[in-house]
Amino acid sequence: MTGKDIFAVLTFRAFRPEPDDPTAQWKKRFPKIRTLLMSFGKAAIFWKTVKSNGQVGEGDTISGDPKETLPTLSARATELAENGWCAVSMNTRYVISLEANLSRRAGSEEALKSNPRSVLGARYERGKRYAVTHNPETNASILLTCDEEHIRKLEAQLKEANFRVNRICCGTYILLRHALSLTNTNPKSGDKPASYFYIVCCQGSVCALVQSADNWLELRSRPDVYTEDLAPLLDLVTPFQSRLTPDMEVILTCDEPMAELAAKLRETFAGHKFTDLTQPDLLWNLLIQN
Amino acid sequence: MLIHGKAIDDFKTERKNITPPLPMALRLVPILFYLSIVCGILMNGIFALQFADATRARDQATQELSATRANLAKVDEERKALEAEVKRASDIAAWVESSRPLQPLAVNIARSIGPESNIVDLKLERDPENPAQLKLALRLTGDSTKQLDLILERIAAEKYRIYTPQQTLIRGEIEYKATLVWQAGTTVESAAVTP
Repeated sequence: MTGKDIFAVLTFRAFRPEPDDPTAQWKKRFPKIRTLLMSFGKAAIFWKTVKSNGQVGEGDTISGDPKETLPTLSARATELAENGWCAVSMNTRYVISLEANLSRRAGSEEALKSNPRSVLGARYERGKRYAVTHNPETNASILLTCDEEHIRKLEAQLKEANFRVNRICCGTYILLRHALSLTNTNPKSGDKPASYFYIVCCQGSVCALVQSADNWLELRSRPDVYTEDLAPLLDLVTPFQSRLTPDMEVILTCDEPMAELAAKLRETFAGHKFTDLTQPDLLWNLLIQN
Repeated sequence: MLIHGKAIDDFKTERKNITPPLPMALRLVPILFYLSIVCGILMNGIFALQFADATRARDQATQELSATRANLAKVDEERKALEAEVKRASDIAAWVESSRPLQPLAVNIARSIGPESNIVDLKLERDPENPAQLKLALRLTGDSTKQLDLILERIAAEKYRIYTPQQTLIRGEIEYKATLVWQAGTTVESAAVTP
Protein backbone atom coordinates (compact mmCIF):
# COMPACT_ATOMS: atom_id res chain seq x y z
CA MET A 1 0.00 0.00 0.00
CA THR A 2 1.42 3.36 -1.01
CA GLY A 3 0.75 6.86 0.19
CA LYS A 4 -1.35 7.39 -2.93
CA ASP A 5 -3.65 4.51 -1.91
CA ILE A 6 -4.01 5.89 1.61
CA PHE A 7 -4.78 9.33 0.19
CA ALA A 8 -7.42 7.73 -2.09
CA VAL A 9 -9.07 6.10 0.94
CA LEU A 10 -9.02 9.31 2.98
CA THR A 11 -10.55 11.33 0.13
CA PHE A 12 -13.15 8.54 -0.47
CA ARG A 13 -11.92 8.25 -4.05
CA ALA A 14 -11.10 4.57 -3.44
CA PHE A 15 -14.80 3.90 -2.87
CA ARG A 16 -15.74 5.28 -6.28
CA PRO A 17 -15.00 3.40 -9.47
CA GLU A 18 -11.97 4.55 -11.39
CA PRO A 19 -12.73 6.77 -14.42
CA ASP A 20 -11.50 4.00 -16.68
CA ASP A 21 -13.54 1.24 -15.02
CA PRO A 22 -15.82 -0.07 -17.80
CA THR A 23 -18.12 -1.90 -15.37
CA ALA A 24 -19.32 1.26 -13.62
CA GLN A 25 -21.92 3.82 -14.60
CA TRP A 26 -20.73 6.99 -16.28
CA LYS A 27 -22.22 9.15 -13.49
CA LYS A 28 -20.36 7.18 -10.83
CA ARG A 29 -17.12 7.28 -12.77
CA PHE A 30 -17.29 11.06 -13.23
CA PRO A 31 -19.19 12.62 -10.36
CA LYS A 32 -19.22 16.41 -10.63
CA ILE A 33 -16.84 16.32 -13.58
CA ARG A 34 -17.48 17.84 -17.01
CA THR A 35 -17.05 15.23 -19.75
CA LEU A 36 -17.55 14.99 -23.48
CA LEU A 37 -19.54 12.59 -25.63
CA MET A 38 -18.60 12.26 -29.29
CA SER A 39 -20.27 10.50 -32.14
CA PHE A 40 -17.99 9.71 -35.06
CA GLY A 41 -19.68 9.38 -38.44
CA LYS A 42 -18.05 8.93 -41.82
CA ALA A 43 -18.07 12.64 -42.61
CA ALA A 44 -18.82 14.39 -39.33
CA ILE A 45 -18.18 14.50 -35.62
CA PHE A 46 -21.15 15.29 -33.46
CA TRP A 47 -20.34 16.16 -29.88
CA LYS A 48 -22.16 17.05 -26.72
CA THR A 49 -20.87 17.94 -23.29
CA VAL A 50 -21.98 16.37 -20.06
CA LYS A 51 -22.21 19.05 -17.40
CA SER A 52 -20.86 18.51 -13.91
CA ASN A 53 -24.44 17.88 -12.68
CA GLY A 54 -24.72 14.91 -15.07
CA GLN A 55 -27.04 16.65 -17.56
CA VAL A 56 -26.37 16.78 -21.28
CA GLY A 57 -25.12 20.24 -22.19
CA GLU A 58 -24.25 22.10 -25.37
CA GLY A 59 -23.27 20.34 -28.56
CA ASP A 60 -22.26 20.92 -32.14
CA THR A 61 -21.47 19.14 -35.36
CA ILE A 62 -18.15 19.42 -37.14
CA SER A 63 -18.48 18.38 -40.74
CA GLY A 64 -15.60 16.78 -42.58
CA ASP A 65 -13.37 13.78 -42.26
CA PRO A 66 -12.92 13.10 -38.52
CA LYS A 67 -9.19 12.63 -39.02
CA GLU A 68 -8.92 16.21 -40.22
CA THR A 69 -11.57 17.82 -38.05
CA LEU A 70 -10.54 16.23 -34.75
CA PRO A 71 -7.57 18.64 -34.24
CA THR A 72 -10.00 21.59 -34.33
CA LEU A 73 -11.89 20.00 -31.47
CA SER A 74 -8.71 19.24 -29.59
CA ALA A 75 -8.09 22.98 -29.18
CA ARG A 76 -11.16 23.03 -26.94
CA ALA A 77 -10.44 19.71 -25.24
CA THR A 78 -9.78 21.09 -21.78
CA GLU A 79 -12.67 23.54 -22.09
CA LEU A 80 -15.15 20.84 -23.10
CA ALA A 81 -14.00 18.05 -20.78
CA GLU A 82 -12.06 18.10 -17.53
CA ASN A 83 -8.89 16.07 -17.96
CA GLY A 84 -10.08 15.33 -21.51
CA TRP A 85 -12.35 12.45 -20.51
CA CYS A 86 -14.67 11.48 -23.34
CA ALA A 87 -16.81 8.66 -24.66
CA VAL A 88 -17.05 7.82 -28.33
CA SER A 89 -19.92 6.41 -30.30
CA MET A 90 -18.50 4.82 -33.42
CA ASN A 91 -20.91 4.89 -36.35
CA THR A 92 -18.70 3.48 -39.05
CA ARG A 93 -16.56 0.40 -39.68
CA TYR A 94 -18.82 -1.97 -37.77
CA VAL A 95 -21.14 -4.85 -38.62
CA ILE A 96 -24.29 -5.90 -36.79
CA SER A 97 -25.41 -9.37 -37.77
CA LEU A 98 -27.87 -12.02 -36.69
CA GLU A 99 -26.23 -15.24 -35.58
CA ALA A 100 -27.48 -18.55 -34.25
CA ASN A 101 -26.15 -21.12 -31.82
CA LEU A 102 -23.54 -18.94 -30.16
CA SER A 103 -22.21 -20.19 -26.84
CA ARG A 104 -24.26 -19.00 -23.88
CA ARG A 105 -22.25 -20.52 -21.11
CA ALA A 106 -21.86 -18.57 -17.91
CA GLY A 107 -19.33 -15.79 -18.42
CA SER A 108 -19.49 -16.05 -22.20
CA GLU A 109 -20.05 -12.29 -22.55
CA GLU A 110 -16.81 -11.65 -20.64
CA ALA A 111 -15.06 -14.37 -22.59
CA LEU A 112 -16.14 -12.58 -25.77
CA LYS A 113 -13.66 -9.82 -24.89
CA SER A 114 -10.77 -11.91 -23.67
CA ASN A 115 -11.14 -15.03 -25.84
CA PRO A 116 -13.79 -14.49 -28.53
CA ARG A 117 -12.87 -17.68 -30.36
CA SER A 118 -14.22 -19.76 -27.45
CA VAL A 119 -17.63 -18.11 -27.84
CA LEU A 120 -17.87 -17.57 -31.58
CA GLY A 121 -16.14 -20.71 -32.80
CA ALA A 122 -15.92 -20.70 -36.60
CA ARG A 123 -17.46 -17.21 -36.81
CA TYR A 124 -14.42 -15.71 -35.14
CA GLU A 125 -12.31 -13.42 -37.28
CA ARG A 126 -8.86 -12.25 -36.33
CA GLY A 127 -8.49 -8.53 -35.64
CA LYS A 128 -12.09 -7.95 -34.63
CA ARG A 129 -13.79 -7.01 -31.38
CA TYR A 130 -17.25 -8.25 -30.54
CA ALA A 131 -20.35 -7.64 -28.46
CA VAL A 132 -23.38 -9.87 -28.31
CA THR A 133 -27.06 -9.78 -27.32
CA HIS A 134 -28.80 -13.13 -26.97
CA ASN A 135 -32.46 -13.77 -27.55
CA PRO A 136 -33.60 -15.52 -24.37
CA GLU A 137 -36.40 -17.36 -26.17
CA THR A 138 -34.50 -18.70 -29.15
CA ASN A 139 -30.94 -19.57 -30.14
CA ALA A 140 -30.56 -16.33 -32.10
CA SER A 141 -28.08 -13.64 -31.11
CA ILE A 142 -27.26 -10.18 -32.38
CA LEU A 143 -23.52 -9.89 -32.90
CA LEU A 144 -21.70 -6.58 -33.17
CA THR A 145 -18.31 -6.77 -34.86
CA CYS A 146 -15.81 -3.92 -34.97
CA ASP A 147 -12.47 -3.60 -36.65
CA GLU A 148 -9.74 -3.65 -33.99
CA GLU A 149 -7.29 -1.68 -36.08
CA HIS A 150 -9.85 1.06 -36.60
CA ILE A 151 -10.42 1.22 -32.83
CA ARG A 152 -6.70 1.48 -32.12
CA LYS A 153 -6.33 4.22 -34.73
CA LEU A 154 -9.27 6.06 -33.23
CA GLU A 155 -7.70 5.78 -29.77
CA ALA A 156 -4.40 7.10 -31.08
CA GLN A 157 -6.10 10.02 -32.83
CA LEU A 158 -8.00 10.93 -29.69
CA LYS A 159 -4.86 10.69 -27.59
CA GLU A 160 -3.07 12.97 -30.01
CA ALA A 161 -5.94 15.42 -29.72
CA ASN A 162 -5.46 15.52 -25.90
CA PHE A 163 -8.54 13.45 -25.18
CA ARG A 164 -8.64 10.54 -22.77
CA VAL A 165 -11.04 8.13 -24.30
CA ASN A 166 -13.05 6.33 -21.71
CA ARG A 167 -15.50 4.27 -23.67
CA ILE A 168 -15.78 3.31 -27.34
CA CYS A 169 -19.13 1.93 -28.32
CA CYS A 170 -21.49 1.65 -31.23
CA GLY A 171 -24.44 4.06 -31.00
CA THR A 172 -26.64 2.02 -33.33
CA TYR A 173 -26.12 -1.13 -31.28
CA ILE A 174 -26.88 0.74 -28.03
CA LEU A 175 -30.11 2.17 -29.47
CA LEU A 176 -31.12 -1.26 -30.77
CA ARG A 177 -30.61 -2.84 -27.35
CA HIS A 178 -32.52 0.04 -25.80
CA ALA A 179 -35.46 -0.56 -28.15
CA LEU A 180 -35.36 -4.30 -27.48
CA SER A 181 -35.28 -3.81 -23.73
CA LEU A 182 -38.17 -1.31 -23.76
CA THR A 183 -40.42 -3.52 -25.87
CA ASN A 184 -39.51 -6.96 -24.53
CA THR A 185 -40.32 -6.51 -20.90
CA ASN A 186 -42.30 -9.64 -20.13
CA PRO A 187 -40.18 -12.01 -18.07
CA LYS A 188 -42.54 -14.99 -18.46
CA SER A 189 -41.70 -17.04 -21.48
CA GLY A 190 -45.16 -18.59 -21.72
CA ASP A 191 -46.93 -15.28 -22.26
CA LYS A 192 -48.03 -13.89 -25.59
CA PRO A 193 -44.98 -13.50 -27.82
CA ALA A 194 -44.20 -10.06 -29.19
CA SER A 195 -43.73 -9.08 -32.84
CA TYR A 196 -41.95 -5.90 -33.78
CA PHE A 197 -40.11 -4.32 -36.61
CA TYR A 198 -37.28 -2.23 -35.21
CA ILE A 199 -35.75 0.65 -37.15
CA VAL A 200 -32.73 2.22 -35.51
CA CYS A 201 -31.01 5.32 -36.88
CA CYS A 202 -27.86 6.88 -35.50
CA GLN A 203 -25.68 9.45 -37.21
CA GLY A 204 -26.33 8.14 -40.70
CA SER A 205 -26.26 4.46 -39.72
CA VAL A 206 -29.36 2.30 -39.95
CA CYS A 207 -30.31 -1.05 -38.47
CA ALA A 208 -33.56 -2.89 -39.11
CA LEU A 209 -34.62 -5.99 -37.19
CA VAL A 210 -37.70 -8.14 -37.61
CA GLN A 211 -38.94 -9.89 -34.50
CA SER A 212 -41.88 -12.22 -35.04
CA ALA A 213 -43.35 -13.97 -32.01
CA ASP A 214 -40.13 -13.42 -30.08
CA ASN A 215 -38.06 -14.82 -32.95
CA TRP A 216 -35.50 -12.61 -34.59
CA LEU A 217 -36.00 -13.35 -38.22
CA GLU A 218 -34.06 -10.82 -40.20
CA LEU A 219 -31.56 -8.06 -39.51
CA ARG A 220 -30.06 -5.50 -41.87
CA SER A 221 -27.49 -3.00 -40.75
CA ARG A 222 -25.62 -0.41 -42.81
CA PRO A 223 -23.35 2.35 -41.59
CA ASP A 224 -23.19 5.69 -43.38
CA VAL A 225 -26.49 5.28 -45.20
CA TYR A 226 -27.84 8.82 -45.08
CA THR A 227 -26.86 12.36 -44.25
CA GLU A 228 -29.59 14.94 -44.88
CA ASP A 229 -31.37 13.07 -47.60
CA LEU A 230 -33.46 10.30 -46.07
CA ALA A 231 -34.14 8.47 -49.31
CA PRO A 232 -31.34 5.88 -48.90
CA LEU A 233 -32.70 5.08 -45.45
CA LEU A 234 -36.22 4.61 -46.75
CA ASP A 235 -34.89 2.51 -49.60
CA LEU A 236 -33.25 0.23 -47.08
CA VAL A 237 -36.31 -0.29 -44.86
CA THR A 238 -39.10 -0.20 -47.42
CA PRO A 239 -38.50 -3.79 -48.70
CA PHE A 240 -39.42 -5.06 -45.24
CA GLN A 241 -42.97 -3.79 -45.70
CA SER A 242 -43.99 -6.81 -47.72
CA ARG A 243 -42.55 -9.20 -45.14
CA LEU A 244 -44.22 -7.74 -42.05
CA THR A 245 -47.29 -9.42 -40.66
CA PRO A 246 -50.21 -7.11 -39.90
CA ASP A 247 -49.85 -7.51 -36.13
CA MET A 248 -46.25 -6.27 -36.16
CA GLU A 249 -45.61 -2.95 -34.53
CA VAL A 250 -43.04 -0.65 -36.04
CA ILE A 251 -40.59 0.73 -33.49
CA LEU A 252 -38.48 3.69 -34.52
CA THR A 253 -35.48 4.63 -32.38
CA CYS A 254 -33.17 7.47 -33.38
CA ASP A 255 -30.33 9.21 -31.55
CA GLU A 256 -32.10 12.56 -32.06
CA PRO A 257 -35.73 13.29 -32.97
CA MET A 258 -36.32 13.13 -36.75
CA ALA A 259 -39.89 14.27 -37.35
CA GLU A 260 -39.62 14.00 -41.14
CA LEU A 261 -38.37 10.43 -40.96
CA ALA A 262 -41.10 9.43 -38.52
CA ALA A 263 -43.76 10.89 -40.81
CA LYS A 264 -42.39 9.11 -43.85
CA LEU A 265 -42.12 5.80 -42.02
CA ARG A 266 -45.73 6.15 -40.83
CA GLU A 267 -46.72 6.54 -44.45
CA THR A 268 -44.56 3.66 -45.59
CA PHE A 269 -45.77 1.30 -42.90
CA ALA A 270 -49.38 2.43 -42.89
CA GLY A 271 -51.61 -0.18 -41.31
CA HIS A 272 -49.04 -1.07 -38.69
CA LYS A 273 -48.98 0.34 -35.24
CA PHE A 274 -46.12 2.84 -35.13
CA THR A 275 -44.19 3.83 -32.02
CA ASP A 276 -41.38 6.35 -31.92
CA LEU A 277 -39.09 5.77 -28.93
CA THR A 278 -36.87 8.66 -29.93
CA GLN A 279 -36.24 11.35 -27.37
CA PRO A 280 -33.98 14.37 -27.44
CA ASP A 281 -30.39 13.37 -26.53
CA LEU A 282 -31.48 9.72 -26.28
CA LEU A 283 -28.09 8.23 -27.16
CA TRP A 284 -26.22 10.60 -24.84
CA ASN A 285 -28.59 9.91 -21.97
CA LEU A 286 -28.16 6.18 -22.48
CA LEU A 287 -24.40 6.63 -22.39
CA ILE A 288 -24.59 8.65 -19.19
CA GLN A 289 -27.07 6.38 -17.41
CA ASN A 290 -25.27 3.14 -18.14
CA MET B 1 -39.22 -12.25 -23.41
CA LEU B 2 -37.07 -10.00 -21.28
CA ILE B 3 -33.97 -8.22 -22.55
CA HIS B 4 -31.89 -5.98 -20.37
CA GLY B 5 -30.67 -2.82 -22.06
CA LYS B 6 -28.35 -1.61 -19.34
CA ALA B 7 -25.11 -3.14 -20.57
CA ILE B 8 -23.19 -1.04 -23.06
CA ASP B 9 -20.61 -2.54 -25.33
CA ASP B 10 -17.17 -1.15 -24.77
CA PHE B 11 -14.51 -1.68 -27.40
CA LYS B 12 -11.80 0.36 -25.81
CA THR B 13 -8.46 -1.42 -25.61
CA GLU B 14 -8.26 -3.35 -22.33
CA ARG B 15 -7.19 -1.18 -19.41
CA LYS B 16 -4.46 -2.26 -17.08
CA ASN B 17 -4.29 -1.80 -13.34
CA ILE B 18 -7.97 -1.03 -12.92
CA THR B 19 -8.89 -1.76 -9.34
CA PRO B 20 -12.51 -2.19 -8.33
CA PRO B 21 -13.90 0.29 -5.82
CA LEU B 22 -13.58 -0.70 -2.18
CA PRO B 23 -16.69 -2.03 -0.41
CA MET B 24 -18.97 0.67 0.96
CA ALA B 25 -18.68 -0.78 4.48
CA LEU B 26 -15.02 0.23 4.50
CA ARG B 27 -16.08 3.88 4.30
CA LEU B 28 -16.13 3.58 8.06
CA VAL B 29 -12.32 3.63 8.00
CA PRO B 30 -11.88 7.20 6.71
CA ILE B 31 -15.02 8.31 8.59
CA LEU B 32 -13.55 6.98 11.85
CA PHE B 33 -10.22 8.54 10.91
CA TYR B 34 -11.79 11.97 10.49
CA LEU B 35 -13.91 11.47 13.61
CA SER B 36 -10.79 10.58 15.57
CA ILE B 37 -9.09 13.75 14.29
CA VAL B 38 -12.10 15.87 15.27
CA CYS B 39 -12.26 14.12 18.67
CA GLY B 40 -8.52 14.58 19.07
CA ILE B 41 -8.81 18.30 18.35
CA LEU B 42 -11.74 18.60 20.76
CA MET B 43 -9.96 16.61 23.45
CA ASN B 44 -6.79 18.65 22.94
CA GLY B 45 -8.84 21.82 23.25
CA ILE B 46 -10.44 20.56 26.45
CA PHE B 47 -7.06 19.39 27.77
CA ALA B 48 -5.47 22.74 26.88
CA LEU B 49 -8.21 24.59 28.77
CA GLN B 50 -7.89 22.24 31.71
CA PHE B 51 -4.11 22.53 31.60
CA ALA B 52 -4.37 26.33 31.65
CA ASP B 53 -6.78 26.10 34.61
CA ALA B 54 -4.50 23.63 36.40
CA THR B 55 -1.44 25.82 35.77
CA ARG B 56 -3.32 28.83 37.10
CA ALA B 57 -4.42 26.85 40.18
CA ARG B 58 -0.87 25.53 40.69
CA ASP B 59 0.58 29.05 40.46
CA GLN B 60 -2.05 30.29 42.90
CA ALA B 61 -1.31 27.39 45.26
CA THR B 62 2.43 28.05 44.96
CA GLN B 63 1.86 31.71 45.78
CA GLU B 64 -0.33 30.75 48.73
CA LEU B 65 2.31 28.27 49.87
CA SER B 66 5.04 30.89 49.62
CA ALA B 67 2.92 33.37 51.56
CA THR B 68 2.12 30.72 54.16
CA ARG B 69 5.80 29.78 54.45
CA ALA B 70 6.74 33.44 54.80
CA ASN B 71 4.10 33.83 57.51
CA LEU B 72 5.32 30.67 59.18
CA ALA B 73 8.92 31.90 59.10
CA LYS B 74 7.78 35.21 60.54
CA VAL B 75 5.81 33.46 63.26
CA ASP B 76 8.81 31.17 63.89
CA GLU B 77 11.05 34.20 64.16
CA GLU B 78 8.63 35.86 66.53
CA ARG B 79 8.33 32.65 68.53
CA LYS B 80 12.12 32.34 68.70
CA ALA B 81 12.43 35.97 69.76
CA LEU B 82 9.71 35.38 72.32
CA GLU B 83 11.42 32.22 73.51
CA ALA B 84 14.76 34.03 73.70
CA GLU B 85 13.08 36.79 75.73
CA VAL B 86 11.39 34.18 77.90
CA LYS B 87 14.75 32.45 78.36
CA ARG B 88 16.41 35.73 79.16
CA ALA B 89 13.65 36.60 81.59
CA SER B 90 13.91 33.12 83.09
CA ASP B 91 17.66 33.53 83.31
CA ILE B 92 17.25 36.88 84.96
CA ALA B 93 14.61 35.44 87.26
CA ALA B 94 16.90 32.52 88.01
CA TRP B 95 19.79 34.85 88.48
CA VAL B 96 17.76 37.09 90.69
CA GLU B 97 16.60 34.06 92.61
CA SER B 98 20.06 32.55 92.83
CA SER B 99 21.73 35.81 93.68
CA ARG B 100 19.32 36.61 96.45
CA PRO B 101 21.95 35.77 99.16
CA LEU B 102 24.42 38.10 97.41
CA GLN B 103 22.04 41.00 96.99
CA PRO B 104 22.64 42.56 100.36
CA LEU B 105 26.38 42.35 99.68
CA ALA B 106 26.04 43.93 96.25
CA VAL B 107 23.67 46.62 97.56
CA ASN B 108 26.07 47.46 100.37
CA ILE B 109 29.01 47.66 97.99
CA ALA B 110 26.98 49.90 95.65
CA ARG B 111 25.81 52.18 98.50
CA SER B 112 29.33 52.51 99.78
CA ILE B 113 30.47 54.24 96.60
CA GLY B 114 31.06 57.92 97.23
CA PRO B 115 30.54 60.76 94.73
CA GLU B 116 34.24 60.84 93.73
CA SER B 117 34.48 57.16 92.90
CA ASN B 118 33.05 54.88 90.28
CA ILE B 119 32.82 51.14 89.99
CA VAL B 120 34.09 50.24 86.53
CA ASP B 121 33.64 46.54 87.00
CA LEU B 122 32.31 44.32 89.74
CA LYS B 123 32.29 40.53 89.64
CA LEU B 124 31.07 38.14 92.28
CA GLU B 125 31.62 34.50 91.23
CA ARG B 126 30.73 31.44 93.27
CA ASP B 127 32.99 28.50 92.78
CA PRO B 128 30.77 25.42 92.01
CA GLU B 129 33.27 23.15 93.71
CA ASN B 130 33.42 25.28 96.79
CA PRO B 131 30.10 27.11 97.07
CA ALA B 132 31.06 28.67 100.42
CA GLN B 133 33.59 30.88 98.68
CA LEU B 134 32.96 33.92 96.46
CA LYS B 135 35.48 35.34 94.03
CA LEU B 136 35.40 39.12 94.10
CA ALA B 137 36.85 41.16 91.27
CA LEU B 138 36.50 44.93 91.45
CA ARG B 139 37.82 47.90 89.48
CA LEU B 140 37.50 51.38 90.84
CA THR B 141 38.31 54.89 89.70
CA GLY B 142 38.63 58.10 91.66
CA ASP B 143 39.56 58.30 95.35
CA SER B 144 40.13 54.63 95.21
CA THR B 145 42.09 53.68 98.32
CA LYS B 146 39.59 55.19 100.76
CA GLN B 147 36.78 53.94 98.72
CA LEU B 148 38.25 50.44 98.64
CA ASP B 149 38.61 50.45 102.41
CA LEU B 150 34.99 51.52 102.79
CA ILE B 151 33.91 48.72 100.49
CA LEU B 152 35.93 46.13 102.39
CA GLU B 153 34.35 47.36 105.66
CA ARG B 154 30.89 46.91 104.18
CA ILE B 155 31.84 43.43 102.97
CA ALA B 156 33.08 42.53 106.41
CA ALA B 157 29.85 43.95 107.87
CA GLU B 158 28.00 41.43 105.72
CA LYS B 159 29.86 38.64 107.54
CA TYR B 160 32.27 37.79 104.77
CA ARG B 161 35.89 37.18 105.55
CA ILE B 162 38.41 38.24 102.97
CA TYR B 163 41.18 35.89 101.91
CA THR B 164 44.06 36.25 99.47
CA PRO B 165 43.39 39.85 98.52
CA GLN B 166 45.30 41.19 95.50
CA GLN B 167 45.37 44.86 94.71
CA THR B 168 46.92 46.49 91.65
CA LEU B 169 46.89 50.05 90.41
CA ILE B 170 46.72 50.52 86.66
CA ARG B 171 46.34 54.01 85.12
CA GLY B 172 44.53 55.45 88.14
CA GLU B 173 42.25 52.45 88.49
CA ILE B 174 42.47 50.03 91.37
CA GLU B 175 41.92 46.45 90.47
CA TYR B 176 41.07 44.38 93.51
CA LYS B 177 40.61 40.62 93.69
CA ALA B 178 39.87 38.49 96.77
CA THR B 179 38.13 35.36 97.96
CA LEU B 180 35.17 35.94 100.26
CA VAL B 181 34.15 33.27 102.72
CA TRP B 182 30.82 33.59 104.38
CA GLN B 183 30.96 33.06 108.14
CA ALA B 184 28.03 30.76 108.75
CA GLY B 185 27.96 30.98 112.57
CA THR B 186 27.96 34.68 112.50
CA THR B 187 25.15 34.61 109.97
CA VAL B 188 22.97 32.45 112.20
CA GLU B 189 23.72 34.79 115.00
CA SER B 190 23.07 37.90 113.05
CA ALA B 191 19.92 36.23 111.60
CA ALA B 192 18.80 35.66 115.14
CA VAL B 193 19.58 39.30 116.03
CA THR B 194 18.00 40.84 112.84
CA PRO B 195 14.26 40.26 113.65
